Amino acid sequence: MAARKSRRKEAGDVEAVSELAWPPRGDLAVLNHDLRRVDGPAKISGRARYTHDVRLPGMVYARVLTCPIPRAEVTLDLEPARKIPGVEAVIALAEGGTKWLGQPLAAVAASTPEIAEDGIRAIRVKLEPKPWAVDRAQATAEDAPKVLKDGNLSKENTSGDETEARAALTSADQSVEATYTLPVQHHVCLETHGVVVDYRGGDEATVYCSTQGTFTVPESAARELGLKASQVTTIVEHMGGGFGSKFDLGTEGAAACRLAKALGKPVHLMFSRADEFGAAGNRSGSRQVLHGGASQDGRLVALVGDIEKLGGLQGGSFPGRGPYIYSVEKSFLRVRSVYTNTDVARAMRAPGHPQASFGMESLVDELAYAIGMDPLEFRKKNLKGPVYARQLDAVAREIGWAQHPNKVAPGALKDGMGVGIGFAVSTWGGGGGEGCEVDVRIDRDGGVTASVGTQDLGTGTRTYVAAIVAEELGLPIESVTARIGDSRLGRATPSGGSTTTASLAPAVKDAAYKARTLFAERLSRAMDVPAERLRFSSGRIADERDPKRALSWKQACGELGGDGLSARGTFQPGLSSNGVHGAQAAKVRVDTLTGRVQVLKMAAMQDCGLPLNRMAIRSQIQGGMVQALSYGLLEERVIDSVSGWALNANLEDYKVAHASEIPEMVALIDDEDTRPVIGFSEAAVIPGHGAIANAVYNACGARVRDLPLTPDKVLAALGRVG
Amino acid sequence: MSRPSEADGKNPSPLSRRNFLRGAGGVATGGVLAHGLLAASRANALRGAGEVEELSGEVALALDVNGQVLTVRVEPRTTLLDALRVRCSPPLTGTKLVCDRGQCGSCTVIVDGRPAYACMLLAVDLRGKKIRTIEGLGEPGALSPLQEAFWKHDASMCGFCTPGFVMAIQACLERNPRAGLDEIKEGCAGNTCRCGTQPQIFAAALEAAQASVKGGK
Amino acid sequence: MKAFTLANPSTLDQAIGILAARRERGAHGRVQVLAGGQDLLTEMKEHLAEPEVLVNLKGIGGLDRIEIDAAGALSIGALATLSALEENEGVRARFPILHEAARSIGSPQIRSVGTVGGNLCQRPRCWYYRSEHAKCLKKGGTECFSYGGLNKYNAILGGGPSYIVHPSDLAPALVALDAQVVLRGSAGERTLALERFFTLPSEGSILRENVLADDELLVRVIVPAPAPGMRSTYLKFKERGSFDFALVAVALALWPDGGKIARARLVLGGVAPVPWRCAGAETALAAKTMDESVWKAAGEAALQGAEPLGHNAYKVPLAKGLIFRALQSLSRA
Repeated sequence: MAARKSRRKEAGDVEAVSELAWPPRGDLAVLNHDLRRVDGPAKISGRARYTHDVRLPGMVYARVLTCPIPRAEVTLDLEPARKIPGVEAVIALAEGGTKWLGQPLAAVAASTPEIAEDGIRAIRVKLEPKPWAVDRAQATAEDAPKVLKDGNLSKENTSGDETEARAALTSADQSVEATYTLPVQHHVCLETHGVVVDYRGGDEATVYCSTQGTFTVPESAARELGLKASQVTTIVEHMGGGFGSKFDLGTEGAAACRLAKALGKPVHLMFSRADEFGAAGNRSGSRQVLHGGASQDGRLVALVGDIEKLGGLQGGSFPGRGPYIYSVEKSFLRVRSVYTNTDVARAMRAPGHPQASFGMESLVDELAYAIGMDPLEFRKKNLKGPVYARQLDAVAREIGWAQHPNKVAPGALKDGMGVGIGFAVSTWGGGGGEGCEVDVRIDRDGGVTASVGTQDLGTGTRTYVAAIVAEELGLPIESVTARIGDSRLGRATPSGGSTTTASLAPAVKDAAYKARTLFAERLSRAMDVPAERLRFSSGRIADERDPKRALSWKQACGELGGDGLSARGTFQPGLSSNGVHGAQAAKVRVDTLTGRVQVLKMAAMQDCGLPLNRMAIRSQIQGGMVQALSYGLLEERVIDSVSGWALNANLEDYKVAHASEIPEMVALIDDEDTRPVIGFSEAAVIPGHGAIANAVYNACGARVRDLPLTPDKVLAALGRVG
Repeated sequence: MSRPSEADGKNPSPLSRRNFLRGAGGVATGGVLAHGLLAASRANALRGAGEVEELSGEVALALDVNGQVLTVRVEPRTTLLDALRVRCSPPLTGTKLVCDRGQCGSCTVIVDGRPAYACMLLAVDLRGKKIRTIEGLGEPGALSPLQEAFWKHDASMCGFCTPGFVMAIQACLERNPRAGLDEIKEGCAGNTCRCGTQPQIFAAALEAAQASVKGGK
Repeated sequence: MKAFTLANPSTLDQAIGILAARRERGAHGRVQVLAGGQDLLTEMKEHLAEPEVLVNLKGIGGLDRIEIDAAGALSIGALATLSALEENEGVRARFPILHEAARSIGSPQIRSVGTVGGNLCQRPRCWYYRSEHAKCLKKGGTECFSYGGLNKYNAILGGGPSYIVHPSDLAPALVALDAQVVLRGSAGERTLALERFFTLPSEGSILRENVLADDELLVRVIVPAPAPGMRSTYLKFKERGSFDFALVAVALALWPDGGKIARARLVLGGVAPVPWRCAGAETALAAKTMDESVWKAAGEAALQGAEPLGHNAYKVPLAKGLIFRALQSLSRA
């Protein structure tokens, strides 16, 4: 008791002192290095347990039935399913009027996955189709059925002065007017959305959930189970990808809770891949009619844009107001949503930005060629500040722009083949804020644990939590155990908008700092050295004036009482910052006889404040490029608007880039950025597809304004079709 | 409700292909029709060629997984993937279910030295085959050389595709220890990673290949 | 997947005996043949196929042999896996077109398990055919939805009333090699040219893509020894570079004679409901010099009569371009 009391007092003192800052980069022993992930071996050996891997005694397997058409009057007869031996529970999720293709209608729990499928197949579904709109053409037709009560178009958001912008267009030396379109894309989380609800009656439940927000689950699960939020524990040991689509319990989680409540047994419910395509969100499509003007000396003088977002039953996304990143002297933008009877768009890695980037970067590129200017120089002229210029120069060097022959026009083909280079830039917030509570505990046996309920989406959260603590305590990263993914631990913010690192890292640092300061004060007595003179490094605690007066970490911990030492950290402003920039370049080869586009190389430079784990950061940047490449070249949701059928809701027909698509990739961290920690992951996915499309034009003169950039479109742009 | 086949009680020697492993009659949906068809077929079949083994309902099965014989009860329609993940005790969940259609590679296992999608194999068809899963390769603290290279090169982010990639490349390198980048890309051409770890995977696989060449393998 | 009974015959006759049942009862879909299963299991998982009995051929010995006889003829058992074909040294040396075609299929995992017979007998990939809810012509319905629908991947040649394309990669290569297939049924064996095995939707049963009778199995493919001097290639254009079906594929065999082409065989994949033999292009190539104008002329001749649908006109220039590239590749080295 006495120890605890004094600790509290000391903690108070520490806060009063609080002079928290990241050490100079040159002094870092752990951070700003290449760190192997602490959970790497578990994942690489298949031992990491994801929600889908949870197996509990008496657990039943559940599946959902989804609506195969976009809008219908639905009647369900659940009885045939209930009669199947092994089927344990059947519930309706939606009856009456359905509103979207893929809407879950019913759920079945059974003793095996096979029988659960028999169950959903046995449900008799009467579908009376109602008029629908699944794409822009249907939604904007004169006699279109109303998707929402108020119609199919949202109110417009406008920015800028239209009269001024149009006048500037008229007086521009060159102008380009074009329509750029982007398809609806899917997140394709490899672990589908799903939960395991462990509720066997009583007043406690555990929900294993593949989620981006450990703490977004308990309250809604509790509501479904008739419990209090405090009676529900959420576990997210590992999760197989979210990309913005996995917050809260979801329809699937709510259904699993209802089944568990009905049965008093653990329920395992994961979406099938087809369910996932229909009911787990998507990145909204976009149609942008852009009219831009440039002066002959390379200034962007005017932009008028008419932008539509296709977000299904909700708005979809498009960033901010005004032109995307570039400075334009006079601009006017009108943004609105077109509603369809399809699944609600969800946030997907940098919501709205990849769409805006493609439109703007294509237009900028077209204007550069229109005035006969090097598109790299044109970009630098119209971007604010020195950061983009240095980043563009860096990727240009890496991709070989200086030696490239086609600077102001597409080059000559050799044997029908062209090689081209394209550029694009990106921006994102990535700042952090309050909401994380981290506990660092040091045990008498030398063990160090950092605990916080946060989740790791694959970005490496677990690793940097351990790394920050290791850095502070002068230990190797292996000496620190990071415990995350459990709602019984300290609270943490959900992982959205690249805010996790900038929110969490300061709280970890704060906790580690407090723990170190507390420890130093305790050791000060034992070592007879003033606390402020004790240095923690290389696994030792030593007097900075007399390094011989030192204890090994183990010896030092032996000085602690049986209950060790612990400290809680919270967000501290000043340890993270906000606002990142990136530039990317792509080099492609186009076969103009066949329309084949082969990306030969991609290069990126990204700032991110203080790099916590350089290797994980490069992986994030490369991952962004891979996703953008896949988006740019292959991905597209396909729905037959007449029949309403989803035509490619599987991983064969919905094409995600595989090995042969992936070129050499170079990820550069912008080390001239001296700011503290910033989240950047979203930024890395924004510019790649625009850079590729620009490279295709540079290679052969095919300007493809409609993604994905498939061979049919390349051939059409070359004037070779029909 | 108990499964009718559990009343069957027989526990036949699972590895023998001669055994008549049929569960209790009429278990499967449409089982009666199926039996009618088969009865007709038996009349058509030539005599003296031995019995046609018929499997329906739940049957006991022995699978050779990672060198151990595991006994599981499965239906004929149970995939190897579900047999591993759901029916085995303890369950082997390192092999991931992602697409369930042989389109993504996350369930890659090695069967008699060849990579295969566990979601596209019937468990009952694998009697007598040597099945290797990610659990049989290495474990934390004792990773295989390829796994170690994956770790070193950060070739795993969310990690859900990782076991499948490891097994696909393991199979590739076992057949061609000197594989270069093109062979490695072809070796994992049937695998999807959504986080975009492919560049790191290629680097890891190349390093493992070069190490095995140096090691004189 | 709906539950089924798995029948494991150990002889061909047993298997055919079971298949005969479906002939007698007119119950084609109720009994189906399982080889590698890489297509069939997908169909079953999508409920396009719901057999009550699955006749598993894998317990039947001797159906997986790949042999080249003294005369140079190649025999491939229907159960030979695609990877066995791909890795066969004799095939690689003497039938490069077949090696390339086998290697272009699916992924290593598919090729480990998928069989030669299965590859030739696989069902179409058409989006509508593969949608459970689309009761299309190929599934006993009255409409080919691709005709007026989303038909980017559908046929530009030989279509109507169905516009599927045949998905096999081995088929065009084997047709270019004048391969034959051996079919065995209750009435015994018959051998026919592979080209005649496949049927256009306007010819055979709209429900099938070939002439296999209810009680027949494809047991073997025979490739005659090619005339000396053959050069061949299989060039497959995939929208996604790995693990995809062909938008267009070119199977090309030719016999050079000095600087000229003595004769050529040209078969296209991905453009028609059957492997599409381009007799006109073969004529355009015969006795011509290997040069660009001839390659272009061959492309023009091959695509004569193409009738694109609403979204697949690009396949015409693509096929021409790919024919050019195939001829160009054989002109080198």
